[in-house]
Amino acid sequence: MSQDHAEWAEVPQDIRERLRAAVDHLDHVLPGQAPILNFVHHNTLHGYQHLRFTEALAAAEQMTGIHGYLPDEEFRALYARGRINDADLDASLDHQADRRADEILARIGERAISKREVWRIGLIHGVQAISSSRLNWQIEELNALGRFQGDVPEGARSAVLVAAQRTTPSASGERPAENRVVRELWDACLAVFDLNHLRLHPEELAELPLHQAEETLAGFEAGSADEGHSNPIAHRRMRAEAREELQTLLADVGAGLTLRGLLLALTGKDLLEEVRPIFIRFCASHLDEGLAAWHAPDRAEGLYAAWRRCAHSDFALALADLPNWRQRQAELPDHAVDAVIAGLRRLQIPEHRWEGYLKRLALELPGWSGLFNWRHHRPDYPANRESPIVLMDYLALRLFLDGLWIDRISRETWGIAGNLNDLQAYFQRNLSEFSARAALFANNLPEYLAAGAQKLIGQSWAERGHRENWRALADMIWTWTISSGTKWGPQRPERAGSKDGLRNHSPVAEKPGRHTVYRSAWRLFRLAQHLGLSGGDVRMLPTDVAERLLAALDELTAAERGYLWLWAYERHYREELFTALAQNHGRGRWARRDERPEAQIIFCMDDREESIRRHLEELNPAIETLGAAGFFGVAMNWRGLDDQGVTPLCPVVVTPSHEVREEPRPGQEGASARHDRRRRIKGLLGRLFNQESRRNLLTSGLLMGALAPGVLVALAGKVFFPRRQAALSRKTASALVPAVPTRLHLSAPPGSAEATPANPRLGFTDAEQADRVTGFLRNVGLTSGFAPLVVLSGHGSISQNNPHLAAYDCGACSGRHGGPNARAFAAMANRREIRALVAERGISIPNDTWFLGSEHNTCNEDILWFDLEDLPSAFNPALGRLRADLGRAVLLSAHERCRRFASAPPKPGLQQAMNHVVARSTDFSQARPELGHATNAAAVIGRRSVTQGAFFDRRVFLISYDPTQDPEGRILEGILLAVGPVGAGINLEYYFSTVNNERFGCGSKVPHNVTGLCAVMEGAMSDLRTGLPLQMIEIHEAMRLQVVVEATEAVLAGIYRRQPPLRELIGNGWLLLSAIHPETGAISVFEPARGFVPWSGGLGPLPVVERSTDWYDGHSEPRPPALIRQPLIREVRHAG
Amino acid sequence: MLAELIVLPPFLAAALLAAGIVSGRIAGESSERATSRIALFAVTLSCLATFLAVALKLTSTLPDHIVLGRWLSSGTYRINLSFSFDALSLTMASLVAVLSVLVLRFSVNYMHRESGFHRFFLVLSLFVGAMLLLVTAGNAALTFVGWELAGVSSYLLIAYAYDRPVAAGNATRAFVTNRIGDAGFVLGIFLAFFWTGGIDWPTIMAGTAPLPEWQAGLLACAFLLAATAKSAQVPLAPWLARAIEGPTPSSAIFYGAVMVHAGVYLVLRLESVFDQAPVVMALMAASGLLTAIYGFVCGLTQTDVKSALIFATLGQVGLMFLEAGLGFWNLALWHLCAHAVFRGYQFLTAPSLMHQIVGSPARALPERLARQHGLYLASLQRFWLEELGDRLVVTPIRRLGGDLQAFDSRIIEKAFGEPTADDRDVTRASGLTGRLVWRLALALHWFEYRLVLGGLGQELLDAGRRLGVRLNTVEELLNRPRYLVVFILATLLTVF
Repeated sequence: MSQDHAEWAEVPQDIRERLRAAVDHLDHVLPGQAPILNFVHHNTLHGYQHLRFTEALAAAEQMTGIHGYLPDEEFRALYARGRINDADLDASLDHQADRRADEILARIGERAISKREVWRIGLIHGVQAISSSRLNWQIEELNALGRFQGDVPEGARSAVLVAAQRTTPSASGERPAENRVVRELWDACLAVFDLNHLRLHPEELAELPLHQAEETLAGFEAGSADEGHSNPIAHRRMRAEAREELQTLLADVGAGLTLRGLLLALTGKDLLEEVRPIFIRFCASHLDEGLAAWHAPDRAEGLYAAWRRCAHSDFALALADLPNWRQRQAELPDHAVDAVIAGLRRLQIPEHRWEGYLKRLALELPGWSGLFNWRHHRPDYPANRESPIVLMDYLALRLFLDGLWIDRISRETWGIAGNLNDLQAYFQRNLSEFSARAALFANNLPEYLAAGAQKLIGQSWAERGHRENWRALADMIWTWTISSGTKWGPQRPERAGSKDGLRNHSPVAEKPGRHTVYRSAWRLFRLAQHLGLSGGDVRMLPTDVAERLLAALDELTAAERGYLWLWAYERHYREELFTALAQNHGRGRWARRDERPEAQIIFCMDDREESIRRHLEELNPAIETLGAAGFFGVAMNWRGLDDQGVTPLCPVVVTPSHEVREEPRPGQEGASARHDRRRRIKGLLGRLFNQESRRNLLTSGLLMGALAPGVLVALAGKVFFPRRQAALSRKTASALVPAVPTRLHLSAPPGSAEATPANPRLGFTDAEQADRVTGFLRNVGLTSGFAPLVVLSGHGSISQNNPHLAAYDCGACSGRHGGPNARAFAAMANRREIRALVAERGISIPNDTWFLGSEHNTCNEDILWFDLEDLPSAFNPALGRLRADLGRAVLLSAHERCRRFASAPPKPGLQQAMNHVVARSTDFSQARPELGHATNAAAVIGRRSVTQGAFFDRRVFLISYDPTQDPEGRILEGILLAVGPVGAGINLEYYFSTVNNERFGCGSKVPHNVTGLCAVMEGAMSDLRTGLPLQMIEIHEAMRLQVVVEATEAVLAGIYRRQPPLRELIGNGWLLLSAIHPETGAISVFEPARGFVPWSGGLGPLPVVERSTDWYDGHSEPRPPALIRQPLIREVRHAG
Repeated sequence: MLAELIVLPPFLAAALLAAGIVSGRIAGESSERATSRIALFAVTLSCLATFLAVALKLTSTLPDHIVLGRWLSSGTYRINLSFSFDALSLTMASLVAVLSVLVLRFSVNYMHRESGFHRFFLVLSLFVGAMLLLVTAGNAALTFVGWELAGVSSYLLIAYAYDRPVAAGNATRAFVTNRIGDAGFVLGIFLAFFWTGGIDWPTIMAGTAPLPEWQAGLLACAFLLAATAKSAQVPLAPWLARAIEGPTPSSAIFYGAVMVHAGVYLVLRLESVFDQAPVVMALMAASGLLTAIYGFVCGLTQTDVKSALIFATLGQVGLMFLEAGLGFWNLALWHLCAHAVFRGYQFLTAPSLMHQIVGSPARALPERLARQHGLYLASLQRFWLEELGDRLVVTPIRRLGGDLQAFDSRIIEKAFGEPTADDRDVTRASGLTGRLVWRLALALHWFEYRLVLGGLGQELLDAGRRLGVRLNTVEELLNRPRYLVVFILATLLTVF
């Protein structure tokens, strides 16, 4: 790309650079999802992370139209379910509204109505304007004028009745009747605004008075729309408004619209519908990583060049009636960037809007653009070797195709060339046509107008030849707009998310600034009921006070409401969490290791491991469990026995410098050779079945004939007996390809060349190993009190038929299984040489301590052990005991997980529960093999004693850290830097995929179709879908992660000051930080603006249960924390 | 008895589910178990009945053709309620029943918590009933009923996510393409009536023997057209690749396993008619070969799993037509069964194919072939079949339609005025039938009123409006003159 084509030499170099920079910059707005095999959780709005949370959501909404909070209705449902309560909402209002909320809006006698009250009612009950037909329905079907609204609470109802008695005392002194009071209130609400409510027939309300409309239409149809009909003043005003509207719309091209969007708004034709199939086929073929047998012959030259080589014979373009496409194709410059320039020039987009135009263009198919962008920024990605990806290629192709269709549509419709200037010139001359078209395709004209407009458009009359017809129509539309108060806006597909409830179904006379029955009186009517005001009270309100009440309702924007709700939602959980942490202070074991634990198990920090740890400790209090990022400090390129290449096993931000290999143990050469031979055969069969049966024609016919009966049996087995079928097929596989005992090749000779990410080396030197062992042990605070057995437990997940498999695996290992890291760490820590070096570094590991690597399967609860062959026999009894305890713990873990599965048996037995989770993991029809990180809500960094002894419902990441060994906070700094982004990535991806699964997530798995081994589409022609599928987030509670750190405020504040990445995450509110004091257990909440604020809340004493099973069994809803009775270790040992 | 037991249960299940959904008794997650049990029970019953029929057949106590009664009779023409239990029908029925049970069971977990769960099981039950009727019907008319119901259920499941315009559009395209085949089928039925004197399959087959070759050829040709559309042979192939918008299990059973083979079944059923028409046999073989090559070449460049499988399917179904065209009838049947099972499995496991083949990419083409730019482009763009079809058929007809409409509104309406609508006249009813219809209209009106007003307000209205727009599209397509032409053709044929 360095040399530019001579023909284009006149293009100044800086323009090219500018465009390249702009394209590089698209990284900020495009989805950052990796090819799906490498799925790793990341913040969906990663490009906005430098902004504060609320600002980022606003910016993203502005750019894409996607609202970043749950919809109000969802929050109201959560409120109704008690997941948010009044105290939370009050606290949220206090926290965010400062003084504003206490403003008094109105006084009625003694009663002062504050803004807070109105806001609360607006939040909880949603006091909204109503359409005319709905009002009729309310009155006629629900008797709204004779009964309280259904959502008015009892207290408010009696307040209204009491007030009514006060203001209009009845002779008998009895409470007045409900229907009279409500009716009186309605009349009062009308009176306050001086309104009359005429009960009109809906059809009369929706449109102009019918006779008038028909008359006008008749004149128009006859084609004799003379001046008498078309009021010259109205016409002038229509033109003035249309001109303004046109200016706005044209100015938006390049900022909020492409020309495709403009044409869609003016013709209703979406050129993407025709461009997309052609475009996607080329893109998909170029991105494919091995599904298709045949790719573009010149694939290695990039998408643009490869396409240019064959496009000249593309019949699809010839058949689409595109004006001189062949010539334009032939004239294309050699370089994509020049083609982009040519394309933009042809569309006559002003040069200063080019960046914006490209951004908007890329955002029209965000999934495809995102994947191109991802590979564009990772030139080392293996697939890029065969088919290099440059985002500019993609944009050049898209611009070219768009340009052809834009030209075609413009010529067909108006006979002009398809570019911004010609369109502008045309519509400036034909404002009536513009106005009518824009109104029609905004899709909210009443039928008689829409039919008229469609007729004109259908007859393909441009305004030029039929000026009167267009003019009459535009005037009518304008008149209707004015009289109905409906403001049409051009349709913007990209911003379809922003549906303002009012805009679409606003009825007659919705004029801002003027009062209407549906907007003013109705809202006051509802508000008054909730406030407990009677008709008499309302009548006393001056109009401006009543207006102020309504204005308060409007004051909160959707985003502000969303954030108020979110904060309240988070607070509800936070109070429960902090209460449990506070009440658990001093109860948890292993604050100090006064006694040597029987065993120590270091799990991944994953929230899914919380349950197994808790159960294990309940079963045997002498076991200590710890948590750490699941790569155990060993970042490596892993090459398993059967792997052809290496896989990085470490957080995505790290590039490993070392390779670790799995090798057959000495003496197993024969077995290994047999293994390889058989594996090759198996691979061949697999390829035959999965690839050749699709790819070939004749041979696959034969193959099918031969294999069909077996396939039928296998299929029946998979469908009806998944667990047994899977067991059988596993047995068959291990009989066919017998396992070989292996060990790790992880050491490099001392003095080896230095390993760097660019030049990775096989194995770690002894010093490097000792560094890793020491560093990790210090990180988790395990520097003394070693148990005889120290087990490192990585984790991974299995499932069948699940494209998003990697999303269930270990996030700290780039979406892979973490077992090899555990194994490698154990192998290092068991070496005598290493132990000596570690002792030199200050940690003495006793000789009677042995490290073991294992892997916990979070889907079927299986535990895999590594290198047991090396275990000295003296440890066998200890291992036996540990395995017995673990065996029971996994049953309990399965049991606890079953409570959230809809299809699990209710109140299952332990073995029954285990059978259920195993069956899920083997069932290829199961779209929810496990629930992943759903419900994750907090992370606790500190000693296990902070959390041990309480039930946290698998919602908390648990990271071991001992503040007593880290007075300066240096270790903590490292932990936060590693854990912060991982936790935020997981949590925020779940958050965004939950708040709007259709736009931020990838929708239901059911119609997904795996494309090119790198992403999923819906059906065969859609955009690529990024984010999490619906099935993963159904039970998630969308809230930001509460990070609680056991450290002093001073230490945390110091780290916060030092580390920009943490300032970004915490200071901008993507993570919520709190500190729990190591000694006193006092909790304080970090607020970016104010620093640490002591937490003084707290609920009543939590229940104490014997075992966590007693607390959750039989419940399928989220369960609040509880304390678990702490047995003394000795007690249990005696009982045992 | 046996015939009813095979065919009726899925229909009854569909009716039951429909009633439940309409009455609101089946709704939401809590009724999922009931829904899936109803559907599974019914289809399992059909499956067992099919096995029983096979057992009886093996003990030679089951006749090949059973007449249960008369459906219609007019003059010399009769349509019987007859069923066919020969080897072909029983093989197909077993295949359909077994695969349906498997796919239904698969869907129970897979579709869990989908908003269209109940609708999905309803349509799938309807489809199973339709397919069983199609393969066991003893005459062409009854087969045609199954044929159409299967087509409708296919339409409904392609448009499963009817809020996505692409899905809805593709469903319509598939539906419309299939109507071309239906024209062939209807023509075939009429020709069989006139020339062979009946439409029971044995009658047709026996009646073809004395026919002159051109008549047998025309008859075979009409049915071949039907088979070509249903099994997506070239040139009517493109709809199949668009049909994979629905949920994975429905793609599996419709386009991988069962429905796509209905055309092959029809051809196999009419073996002896085709034997009388060697030219048509040759035509069939040629079109099969062409489709096989088309499917193979296009399949090479497909990059998404479902499209790759669809083109592989096309290739194999093409081969089946080729085999039948060359007279290897039994081979074609075996090929059909094997392919249905195999492809059904592949479709159901499609989401995990990626994990099976990662690290072993598809075998590349020989270098010399791979360098062919033109062929690559043709493969990628699927030989432009769809664009050609649009250009040659759809666009001219749409233009013609537009012209006719303009003619209507500018000349006819001006000359005669618009039809007056007087409410009282419209609703005046006389006679028993008239009153019944009037009552029905009132009931429907009441239903609509209840549904709209009693049911949940704006969202329903919006959904209704969207549905209305789609239906309009369908209607618009059906209103096109070519259907009119087909209709007139059919009418003329019945008159003469």
